[in-house]
Amino acid sequence: MSRTPVRLAVVAACAALAAVAATTSSAAPQAGPIKIGISLSLSGDFSDPGKFAEQGYKLWEKTVNAKGGILGRQVQLIIQDDASSPTQAATNYQNFITKDHVDLVFGPFSTLLTAPSAAVASRYGYAFIEPAGGGPAVFDQKLHNVFFTQPAPIVESGDVFVKWILSLPKSKRPKTAAYPALDDPFSSPIADRMRAQFEKAGIKTVYKTIYPSETVDMTPIVSKIAAAKPDMIVGGTQAGDGYSLIKGLVQAKYSPKFLFEANGPNSPGEFPGKVGANNTEGIFSSSDWYPAAQTYGNPAFIKAFLKLYGGKAGDIDPGSAEAYAVGQVAQRVISKVGLNNAKIIAALHTGRWPTVEGTLHWDSIGQPTGQFLLVEWIGGQLYPVLPKKVAVKSPVYPKPAWGQ
Amino acid sequence: MHEVVQALILGILVGGIYALMASGLTLVFGIMKVINVAQGALVILAAYLSYALWSHLGVDPFLSIVIVTPVMFVLGVAVQLVFVRSLRGPEASELSLLVTWALALGIEGILSVAFKTTFRLSLPSYADTTWTVLGYQIAEVRLLGFVASGVLLALLSLLLTRTRFGRAVRATVQNPTAATLLGVDANRVQTLSFGLGVSMAAAAGAVYGVIYPFNPGSHYDLISRLLSIVVLGGLGSIGGAVFAAVGMGVVESLVAVEISPIWSSFSFFVVLIAFLIVRPQGIFGLRERVL
Amino acid sequence: MTRATGFGLARGAAFAGAAVAFPFVFTPAWIVNIGVLTLMYAALATAWNLFSGYTGYITLGQAAFFGLGAYTLGITFEHVGIGSGYNPFYALPLVGAGVALASLPVAWIALRTRQMTFAIVTLTLLFIVQQLAFNLHSLTKGSTGLMLPTPRFPIDSYDRPFYLAMLAILLVALGLCWLIMRSKLGLTLLAIREDEEKARGLGIRVTSAKLVAWSLMVWLSAMVGGVWAYYLTFIYPESSVDPLVMIGAVLMTFLGGRGTLWGPAVGALVLVPAQQYMITRLGASEFYLVGYSAVFMVVLLLLPRGILPSLRDALDSWRERRRTHGSKPVVHGEVRA
Repeated sequence: MSRTPVRLAVVAACAALAAVAATTSSAAPQAGPIKIGISLSLSGDFSDPGKFAEQGYKLWEKTVNAKGGILGRQVQLIIQDDASSPTQAATNYQNFITKDHVDLVFGPFSTLLTAPSAAVASRYGYAFIEPAGGGPAVFDQKLHNVFFTQPAPIVESGDVFVKWILSLPKSKRPKTAAYPALDDPFSSPIADRMRAQFEKAGIKTVYKTIYPSETVDMTPIVSKIAAAKPDMIVGGTQAGDGYSLIKGLVQAKYSPKFLFEANGPNSPGEFPGKVGANNTEGIFSSSDWYPAAQTYGNPAFIKAFLKLYGGKAGDIDPGSAEAYAVGQVAQRVISKVGLNNAKIIAALHTGRWPTVEGTLHWDSIGQPTGQFLLVEWIGGQLYPVLPKKVAVKSPVYPKPAWGQ
Repeated sequence: MHEVVQALILGILVGGIYALMASGLTLVFGIMKVINVAQGALVILAAYLSYALWSHLGVDPFLSIVIVTPVMFVLGVAVQLVFVRSLRGPEASELSLLVTWALALGIEGILSVAFKTTFRLSLPSYADTTWTVLGYQIAEVRLLGFVASGVLLALLSLLLTRTRFGRAVRATVQNPTAATLLGVDANRVQTLSFGLGVSMAAAAGAVYGVIYPFNPGSHYDLISRLLSIVVLGGLGSIGGAVFAAVGMGVVESLVAVEISPIWSSFSFFVVLIAFLIVRPQGIFGLRERVL
Repeated sequence: MTRATGFGLARGAAFAGAAVAFPFVFTPAWIVNIGVLTLMYAALATAWNLFSGYTGYITLGQAAFFGLGAYTLGITFEHVGIGSGYNPFYALPLVGAGVALASLPVAWIALRTRQMTFAIVTLTLLFIVQQLAFNLHSLTKGSTGLMLPTPRFPIDSYDRPFYLAMLAILLVALGLCWLIMRSKLGLTLLAIREDEEKARGLGIRVTSAKLVAWSLMVWLSAMVGGVWAYYLTFIYPESSVDPLVMIGAVLMTFLGGRGTLWGPAVGALVLVPAQQYMITRLGASEFYLVGYSAVFMVVLLLLPRGILPSLRDALDSWRERRRTHGSKPVVHGEVRA
């Protein structure tokens, strides 16, 4: 076959790559802006939550620059789409660090993208402050540059609920429990952990199951749960299946005395609409952040968020607060030790760091050592009920029948 | 035993809806040897249209079938004219596979931009109503969906057997050359049939959107099931597709209840592969014609 | 049929030499990274072409083999040490062979069906493998994802071993295609593409030819998956068995020229850097899928034979016209694969 087209193509491609390499920006002069690279899922499967994180990051950028930046320099966020692909996320961070020579990087959305990205950052000695990678996969890597800006590893989301149930007098506690869980990196680990703790305390497991993430039909599962008649249902759920599970239970006319879902009920804007406004009473969930929380900088965060994006405080997704918290931590640590990644990593491993997510403190592999909030629907509204320090109301139990 | 029968009921109800989607897919293959990989995406597109009508104008999802179906029929005709018809030559079938896959991606992309990736579900007033018949739970929306599918499949059958167009379609499936010699306009039949196939998807989409939460990415799960159904039923056979669809619904439902939900779709694929060992052309499939 | 010419071998050697030298000349990690991705897609596309381009049977299951290779390598090195970091690379051919062997029963079933059914059955395979990756939790860690050990390659040239591994697979793939095209197997494959019934009627061993081509495709795809897994150090079912990766490889094959030797690699060389350029310069694009779909449509509908054959035809007509000074009608020479 004719050789010219192949040769031309190869030469052209090499030339193109060389040209792109030549136009690379070299390391920024000291007086320029502080460049922070972030890979976000702005398209693909994670694009909805990815957008919330983007909002939080951008809000922080505006806020901090309005106050004069950090160390007298403006902050410049370089945000790149990763199309919800781990390969692209890793490529993005590689570009940020070795092409754009950014000063800092912040984390992407989702544990699944955080794990490979943190590995890239670790290779080059960059700190990795991240808002959404809280699943076991991230911490199993045992990296020392990771800092997860939520109160605790995601797998501990249900611990507050477990503690509360086990604090009730024995006669009031549930005797039996069912554990439906979604097959994803967080949901079934959460349910498994809660089940282990409950079983140890003598609560009998009458049914447990894992269902795949594209399950569209919860009816077989619901009918099995209803047949087993558990006092308590602990759902390792994300939002979509969380709603479906409750709808299914309503349709099957089965109402347990205690109902906890890892996610679903913790979306105050969506939950009543998705399951029916008079079906929410007494349902528990867990949350890392709450609009009315009096955590560090939270009221100012809410005010600025509503000013920039509009809407209601109750509709703000925790993802935006988590991203904002990353910025808060970065701001504080840079002001303390300057723009040196090694020093930042060392500094963040000690002390307590106040954010809108609460005051954070990490162990050596990046796991925060705090607690999540237990939230409950009471009178048509979502309230934090534990820990006592931040509770607005006390927990209400048992759960009434559907439609009340 | 109770839950086995309950699972059986659910499986049949679910299978009916898949039968409607699959009928369009297998019809199109029978006529022009084109596998429309975008069928799943078209179902989701119709689900979004139906959802939009419900959320903005309060139109009942089942009634929206009347609106959504003609709209998507026109869309189907347009797609066939623009994308599919231009494929010629001996490799048209294979190329159509890839072209329709590209179309599916395009539809997914447009829907992602327009509606974001949040899961949607139409929730008319009767969304939570269930009836208890002989001790078994039947959700009203599922029953209505099943009935609607049945009615539409019956209408399709009438169309194919009692009308001139239907006769032309069946003639083209059996023997396109002879059909052309007898005066059938092959191009027109192909275009209209493609539109018909998409209409089936549209109606099914309106039904789907009131039973199952969906987002733009949902089409992958749909098309994987649909393709397996039409292959199992025999490419080109509508009766086979209906049979296989209900069979799939029952298998998945029973496995979910008796074994575990994580194995339900897998088990159907295994059934398919096992069946193909014995009978590569599917249940009612015809061996390749030689002409 | 491509004639084995000194030209062809020299061209191949020149390409190999340039490609090997590339990461030593352009050392920044991000450039080598793009090189890794380009070679990954080039190898995948060439492997896909080896089967689908030559036999005409469109397979839509390649992502399954990519994923199987990724998981096999990952699971193996959960139990075996990576040594200096190069052990996984040495293990690749075995990993690939294991996956190829495992795929044979399925291939035998699938290849009994006709072209269209075959395509669908291979697509079904993709979903089956993904489900297995989810469900066999104790083996694959399911949806939580599997971690591979991190090698201690020197930081300045960390990506280079991965680049060279991908390049090796691509060169092997190209070499195999070249050899096949000069062999009886190649003739058989082309005969299958032209008219399988006639070939079978003539007594040609059609099924074993298809199985050989299939096994080679699976072997190569699984090895690429293995290198990818080791590169990212973290894999999970959705990312390992990803229809979009496969569609990308198919698109590049069509773009470059299906059934040609260099077509798929050229397609990858054009599309991968272009895609990366677009993502970095144009920023967030919600229109990613739409754009992808549009490019695919354009290639399939307007340029179905791909860049190389179209360029070659244009070049031939131009040469023909020059030679005959436009006085004779243009007649194309022998049919070339």
